[in-house]
Amino acid sequence: MVVDDHPMWREGVARDLTEAGLEVVATAANGNEALARFPAARPDVLVLDLQIPEPNGVAVTASVVALDPDVRVLILSASGEQADVLEAVKAGATGYLVKSASRQELIEALSRVAEGDTVFTPGLAGLVLGEYRRLSDEPARPDLPRLTDRETEVLRLVAKGLSYKQIAERLVLSHRTVQNHVQNTLRKLQLHNRVQLVRYAIEQGIDEPE
Amino acid sequence: MFRALAWLRVVLLANTLAIFFYRWQSYERPGLGAVVMGALVFWTALVTWAYDDAARRGPVLLAADVVVAVLAILLSPWVKGPGLSATLPGFWVAAAVLACAIHWRWVGGLAAAALVSLADFSVRSHFRQQNWGNVFLLLIGGLIVGFLVGLLHQMALERDRAERTAAAAAERQRLARMVHDGVLQVLALVQKRGLEIGGETAELGRLAGEQEVALRGIVQHDTLTPASLSGTLDLSSELARLATPTVTVSTPGPFGVPGALATEVAHVVAACLSNVRHHVGQDAPAWVLLEDRGPAFVVSVRDEGPGIPDGRLSAAVADGRLGVSESIQGRVASLGGSAALETGSWGTEWEFTFPSGRTS
Repeated sequence: MVVDDHPMWREGVARDLTEAGLEVVATAANGNEALARFPAARPDVLVLDLQIPEPNGVAVTASVVALDPDVRVLILSASGEQADVLEAVKAGATGYLVKSASRQELIEALSRVAEGDTVFTPGLAGLVLGEYRRLSDEPARPDLPRLTDRETEVLRLVAKGLSYKQIAERLVLSHRTVQNHVQNTLRKLQLHNRVQLVRYAIEQGIDEPE
Repeated sequence: MFRALAWLRVVLLANTLAIFFYRWQSYERPGLGAVVMGALVFWTALVTWAYDDAARRGPVLLAADVVVAVLAILLSPWVKGPGLSATLPGFWVAAAVLACAIHWRWVGGLAAAALVSLADFSVRSHFRQQNWGNVFLLLIGGLIVGFLVGLLHQMALERDRAERTAAAAAERQRLARMVHDGVLQVLALVQKRGLEIGGETAELGRLAGEQEVALRGIVQHDTLTPASLSGTLDLSSELARLATPTVTVSTPGPFGVPGALATEVAHVVAACLSNVRHHVGQDAPAWVLLEDRGPAFVVSVRDEGPGIPDGRLSAAVADGRLGVSESIQGRVASLGGSAALETGSWGTEWEFTFPSGRTS
């Protein structure tokens, strides 16, 4: 399913995916359309532009992940505004790509996200590192997510632009282990985000989420 | 302001009435005195209502206010008999003076105070120091209150202007984001399709790609507004300016450091990148990472070139040439940081560590 308010982009991406042998089950031009068509279309992967008419990409990500925890969200953003990208990832997106990425990069990213892998740009890795640093500056609480030394090391190498293969060679790990480490960094952040939301709901007196 | 004045006027009226009821038996014409008191009560109620609406606060009303005060003073010798020690309305007249001060600033306050004071002088047969003190206070009060009201008014205007500017800036920023996003979409599309079509169009696509990266660098970091005021700069946005289609810049998000340091660090990184272009290739990919590690921040610049052959750096120094790496190390050291160089067949990586001045 492709969500983008720019018709040329939406159709371009959909065509690229179809030509690569993938099935595009739905397209949408804004957040409301996306949320309306999502339950019927039931896509495996949502390719989502962040800058769409309200509700924006972050809100759409949170909603579809709540509807279907198995859906994968690949963010495709032109401007890649830092705060938005980080929020989308915390809301449950597992892949991020700038729009200038080539067709091959898009297809490859999409199939990796579909398999449950995470697709990071170095820029996103840098942001996630920064987010963990900010969390560690908060007063110590047992429920704050922390990275292990190894996870930090792997994430740092991703931020420096090394491919998973290069990281595996450098740290003498298997490719799969590197993937797991990267996935964990995101999973902890998303879990923390959900815990925060639930706590907020309880504090507001809405103690039965969903 | 006029609402505060209304309360003051009521308090002053109560004071005047109290003195009248205490002393009326000694007056020559207590009946006339009672009429004057009634007039003061009526007038106080009238102007309190009238001043409540800004539209009614005209010169006529304010002049009438002063005239009533002056009349009340001039009637005093008739009511009390000659040789009076205090006028009938007493301090109540201050309300009219303050009204003029609020409306016409210090000029109005001073003029009204002068008129009331003249009336006060004219009914007295002799002056005592206390009379002069009261008159003087009235003059000074009219002047100061007028001046302060002017000042307050100006401050309120400036605050309104600042609020309007801030709102306009926020709106401009929102619009810019929308426009930029649209432009970025088109640039990315031109680049993508151009490269796919090939030929001259591919060249167009390449140019569009360069502009796209430059614009994205600006858009991603347009949140630094308050930082630049306090002498700090967002190092992330300084570094993001160095991004090109082959140079990837990763940052932890906005990261404020002293302005001079941010500029210098960006210069050092630019020097490293120019080194990469020189020794590895014009289109050689390079990666820049800014990492916040609490008490320190680390900037690394990595390329995947052939690396620097062993001994070349020291050979350059031995030849009496200050190698690029020496100059980079020197600049980093002068900023209070340390530089580490790792090089091998997999490429070259500089890592610069600077104290951030934070404790955690």
